[in-house]
Amino acid sequence: MANLKDIRDRIKSVKSIQKVTKAMKMVAAAKMRKAQERMEQARPYTYRLVNVIHHLLPDVNRALLPLLDIRPIQRVGYVVVTSDRGLAGSFNTNIIKKAELEINEIGKENVDLFCIGKKARDYFTRRNYNIIQSHIEFWNDLEFQHATKIGEKIINHFVSKKVDEIHVCYNEFVNVATQTIQSEQLLPLEYNQEESSNVSNRLYEPSKEKLTKSLIPRHLNVQMWKYLLESYASEQAARMIAMENATDNAEDMVKNLTLEFNKARQASITKEMLEIVGGAEALK
Amino acid sequence: MGHFTLDIVTPTQNLDVIEVNYVRCPGIDGSFGIMANHQDGVFSLDIGEIMIQSESDTKFYSTSGGFAEINENEVCLLVETIESSSDIDISRAESALQRVNERKTKRNVEDVDEVRMESSLSRALNRLRVAKR
Repeated sequence: MANLKDIRDRIKSVKSIQKVTKAMKMVAAAKMRKAQERMEQARPYTYRLVNVIHHLLPDVNRALLPLLDIRPIQRVGYVVVTSDRGLAGSFNTNIIKKAELEINEIGKENVDLFCIGKKARDYFTRRNYNIIQSHIEFWNDLEFQHATKIGEKIINHFVSKKVDEIHVCYNEFVNVATQTIQSEQLLPLEYNQEESSNVSNRLYEPSKEKLTKSLIPRHLNVQMWKYLLESYASEQAARMIAMENATDNAEDMVKNLTLEFNKARQASITKEMLEIVGGAEALK
Repeated sequence: MGHFTLDIVTPTQNLDVIEVNYVRCPGIDGSFGIMANHQDGVFSLDIGEIMIQSESDTKFYSTSGGFAEINENEVCLLVETIESSSDIDISRAESALQRVNERKTKRNVEDVDEVRMESSLSRALNRLRVAKR
């Protein structure tokens, strides 16, 4: 049976780890709430923008706009959105696995990677993937400008015909307990033909083509912003759940260890008693 | 004078819907005004100043572009940023201006993104102009 002092030390260390996980859980919860609020705020803008674009696109000649250009697919760009830090359960592992699977289907050498977050960068660098760019260490002060900046690089890569398609892998925030992994095509822009109803007698200034030209980059910025927000909220939610589980597990461990400790203590007392009784018996 | 509802939406904030009489926006081909019962449409907006007149007051905002959608006497401004003339961070705009000027002087040393520099310059100038209102 383990030494009494060993058990006592373990209980102590488990308890202090529990305190840390508890604190991390609360921090993650607060950050998640903030991220959720921002997601709510971004939604009306996205919704309306998509609406207008859907009205415009059917009337616009695709060949005029480089961002709508559908080319035969030779090279593909992948944007993988992960976090900078770990301790968030399977948040990063799952997204990286999914991305890697899809990339290997196309062939490692035909894929250009954009890594967002340290975890993706580290993983794919170690495995010699073709990383064009990585964006790290901005999650803590996430601003709309980050989305624009990241988006700009990715869009340029597409427009300069280095890749013929761009996909984004990110975690979608469904609710606190569920985050689903999404892999979407960002470029060339797709749209649903049926949804676009024709509204006549509408003024478009300047021309529809020019409008689309200025709207689509904005749309992509907002899309990028959405990916970042969803991923950030998911990260915090995943961390919150992971830390909650860790705290619960620590609780169980403390319980078991305390039981073991008491057993060991009692055993040693019994042993001592027996020795005393045995000693007294021998003296008779 | 007739009035209509104005909704201003950005990716990071949603302003309250308000009743206004007149809105002047910086269109791509020069500024234009919207009054009640305007024909439906979509209009591109440039970097510039938005003036909003309601029953009680007139307010000025700076924007870095977006577009306006008019739908059955409801106007929605979808812009990337909007700051009322009193909220503009003057020191930030000034430092942006300075940054652009610095870059212009050492232009041939590194390749500078001309388009980005120009738009950053006009954004900064616009902010400073509107802030003086």
